[in-house]
Amino acid sequence: MIMIKGLKSEGFLIFDGGMGTMLQAHGLKGGEIPERLNITKPDIIYKIHKEYADSGADVITSNTFGANRYKLEGSGLSCGDVIKGALKLAREAAGDKLVAQDIGPIGQLMEPYGTLSFQDAYDAFKEQVIAGADAGADMILIETMSDIYEAKAAILAAKENSQLPLLCTMTFQADGRTLTGTDPLTMVNIISHLGVDALGINCSLGPKDLIPLLAQVLKYSAIPVIVQPNAGLPSILEGKTVYDLRPERFGEYMAEMAEMGAVMLGGCCGTTPEHIRELRKAITGLKPARSKAGKLTAVSSATTTVVLGEGARIIGERINPTGKKRLKEALKNGDMEYILREAVAQRDAGAHILDVNVGLPEIDEKAMMVKAVRELQSIVNLPLQIDSVSPDVIEAAARACSGRPIINSVNGEKKVMDGIFPVAKKYGCLVVALTLDENGIPEKAEDRLRIAEKIVNRAGEFGIDREDIIVDCLVLTASAQQKEVRETIKAVSLVKQKLGLKTTLGVSNVSFGLPDRELLNRTFLTMALTAGLDAPILNPMAEAMVNTIKAYNVLWNIDKEAVEYIRSCQTFKEIPEVREKEGSRDLRKIIIDGMKEEAAPVVKQLLEEVGGLGIVDEYLIPALDIVGQKYESGEIFLPQLIQAAETVKRAFEVIKDNMMQKDGKALNVNKGKIVIATVKGDIHDIGKNIVKILLENYGFEVYDLGKDVQVEAIVEKVINEKASLVGLSALMTTTVKNMEDTVKALREHCPDTKVMVGGAVLNGDYAKMIGADYYGKDAGEAVKIAREFFGS
Amino acid sequence: MDIDIKEALRYMGHRGQSIDYNTAKLLDDCIAELKDISKNSFLYEIFDIERRAEGLYLKGTTLVLHGKDIAGHLQRAEKCAIMAMTLGIEVDMRIAYYSKTDLTKGLVLDACATAAAESLCDTVQGKVKAEAKSMGFETTSRYSPGYGDFSIGIQKELTKVLKTYERLGLSVNESSIMIPRKSVTAIIGMQKEGCIKNSFKCSECENKYCLYRKDSDDND
Repeated sequence: MIMIKGLKSEGFLIFDGGMGTMLQAHGLKGGEIPERLNITKPDIIYKIHKEYADSGADVITSNTFGANRYKLEGSGLSCGDVIKGALKLAREAAGDKLVAQDIGPIGQLMEPYGTLSFQDAYDAFKEQVIAGADAGADMILIETMSDIYEAKAAILAAKENSQLPLLCTMTFQADGRTLTGTDPLTMVNIISHLGVDALGINCSLGPKDLIPLLAQVLKYSAIPVIVQPNAGLPSILEGKTVYDLRPERFGEYMAEMAEMGAVMLGGCCGTTPEHIRELRKAITGLKPARSKAGKLTAVSSATTTVVLGEGARIIGERINPTGKKRLKEALKNGDMEYILREAVAQRDAGAHILDVNVGLPEIDEKAMMVKAVRELQSIVNLPLQIDSVSPDVIEAAARACSGRPIINSVNGEKKVMDGIFPVAKKYGCLVVALTLDENGIPEKAEDRLRIAEKIVNRAGEFGIDREDIIVDCLVLTASAQQKEVRETIKAVSLVKQKLGLKTTLGVSNVSFGLPDRELLNRTFLTMALTAGLDAPILNPMAEAMVNTIKAYNVLWNIDKEAVEYIRSCQTFKEIPEVREKEGSRDLRKIIIDGMKEEAAPVVKQLLEEVGGLGIVDEYLIPALDIVGQKYESGEIFLPQLIQAAETVKRAFEVIKDNMMQKDGKALNVNKGKIVIATVKGDIHDIGKNIVKILLENYGFEVYDLGKDVQVEAIVEKVINEKASLVGLSALMTTTVKNMEDTVKALREHCPDTKVMVGGAVLNGDYAKMIGADYYGKDAGEAVKIAREFFGS
Repeated sequence: MDIDIKEALRYMGHRGQSIDYNTAKLLDDCIAELKDISKNSFLYEIFDIERRAEGLYLKGTTLVLHGKDIAGHLQRAEKCAIMAMTLGIEVDMRIAYYSKTDLTKGLVLDACATAAAESLCDTVQGKVKAEAKSMGFETTSRYSPGYGDFSIGIQKELTKVLKTYERLGLSVNESSIMIPRKSVTAIIGMQKEGCIKNSFKCSECENKYCLYRKDSDDND
């Protein structure tokens, strides 16, 4: 029996078939808004619904796939009217059958791919949901989603604005992923925990190619599964797209899917009432299969899922400002690039999950956390662990996250649990449970176990599965509490044995205050792993730790036939050629040749001799000038120029790190502050990035706001940083208008700030026309403008 | 998938400079990577043209093509094919990734992707040409929104008619920019008589300072 809240069905729930293809048969023009017909030709819509109802469908889906404000824009139709009209027709035709409000994708790619923000998508879905609920829908069907982040926006909009049963399907390609790269396991892991009542696959491919994908969904989904395939693969016939799978054959495939375990069945593009009739016929006599999916402890990014318990999984700990001056500085300056570099480096070193902690007293933690989550998930495909003590920050981050994150953390204090569990439940997060409470960390392992038990029980009261709790038995330092180190190991074993939960530990705490920390850390790690540690939190850049895990995976029979181990031993790291006489190679030459990898050691040597500022003035700037001349004269071309610029950037990094360590101060070569951005609506940012790196090379402090930047955000940053120069980029005639608006707003709010503009469609006259002060035809020109402007 | 290296280099502003080992290797790596991640999706549909005073109507659709340039291009065409292609979102993501971690590679990959898109357009055009031939037509060169006075604003309409979002994952944002970025839509005329070669030339473009502008003596 299927039960979705109020809906009960003794057998399968049969949905109707395609609407679009039926409308085309009724003369819908290409490009015409299908939802308009709810108002202009209600008889046709009614007739199609009725045919489906008569063919044996239990659920009639309203003609509202594209009834969102973006698709209806300029049509003269309102979302509310269209949905109201559509649901009325569906209800009339459905009779005593159920009506599902159909919600399809907005039709624009969301951030970070496109320019539609999560909030804007949410608002559009919310409008649809409210209209549908008002018009009396029995359930909401969010369908044909390609982007899991958009699906999440739609699900949250549905859950926060209605009580209706909620179904969500995504569409997959032949490579087994959605267009934006989500695989079936990841889909199930994210969506099922957002509280939908059923999930599944639709559209995509024909039923035959969909079967292996469905098998995976069924393997992992503990909630009912819905499947609505197309009538075969589309083919082009005389320049038109057609679907040609016969209804009988469709029915046979659907019966096969029903036997596999799908309990809600219907059709998508190209299917007709005849297909649904055959489907109904084919499943007669079949009984819905029970879900056999076991519950996993799994964390996901939008495209990758890490299942805990299948060998040790590393949680990278480096994005945490505690004790890290350089990261603190980066957070204060909003320097996301540094944070991204840390993320990439950890991933490359073997991290499976990234812990993200941006808590600093002097910054707005919530805003920074959201920014960090967004930036990280746009660049690195690892799942995230949100590390904060504030439920408010955690909620904002969980909402912004496109995957299924871990929350780090709760403990046994009731107040803490009651603050965080509702957030974890709502956003379907996993939670790290620290075995401490009001009375601190218990000495004895048994007492820590008791706290873990208490936390799991309390989580259960919030509807959180025990599998979603990851227990941290807490590592104490051997230098201060030597006898309790063993208790941690014991506690890990107890949690495994008695509670069967997954575990994590911040391993390197153990060695504080003792020499040769790495030896202690890796020994402790081995002990903990054998006791049952699933997800150590550590610094993946510490090779010995990562290697210990690789070895453990062999010795504990996880890495079968040592395949991974052997492979990693075979990949010898390329050892950079050691130069006999350090500094023998001129830094200027290295820059001109763009030998990025060689810069760091030479700079380190030079730091001793001439200091940071000396390097900048005597080496970096002169070399850059030479490179600039070579570029201008046509001796080198763009990639070579940028290669040199990146080499200078590496040199700067070394100098910055060095000064931060030695003096605890940032390098100050500040030649002037410049805010740069690609304007609203525009997503081209390579040109802007090139300008940025060159400006930085010349010692300007550049605040890069990225692409598709709102006018207000640019103005705000300019005011906050008191920047006297702004660089704007736009590549399209359509976005130059937004550039003009930005210039106007800057004039109004910061009249003393000058503006330079650039981009393929601009020229000097055009720049003047939109009110800019300077036009840079290329990056070199932008540097010249800045140098003249700041008089350097 | 073919990538014309000369074309890719041109997008990087190459004008005969010697290419050092690092840059050559980067080019090879980018091309290999692109071949691995590029989806090369495309579709086209063929429509009858109906000429009215306001513009060219494409039968069975809501499309009306305005402007003298597209009218000139389709002067003798009875039908036209509208094509859309995209390399897919993974290419955008990879370019964005390198733009943050290895800008040179980001730049080179971006240029190679543009060349790859161009080459895929040629392939699709070839298919249209073959289909047209089987229907007894010859084809014009392809003409895209943004050429001459053919407004880029029509991008949204074209993609709606072809349902490119549903079928290729190709969307158009509020500023008429196609996402994924390495995407093209174009119109190809189908006519009975032979076609004059009238592809859009750099020399006709108003952007005199464009980095990619071909020299006037450049014949390709």
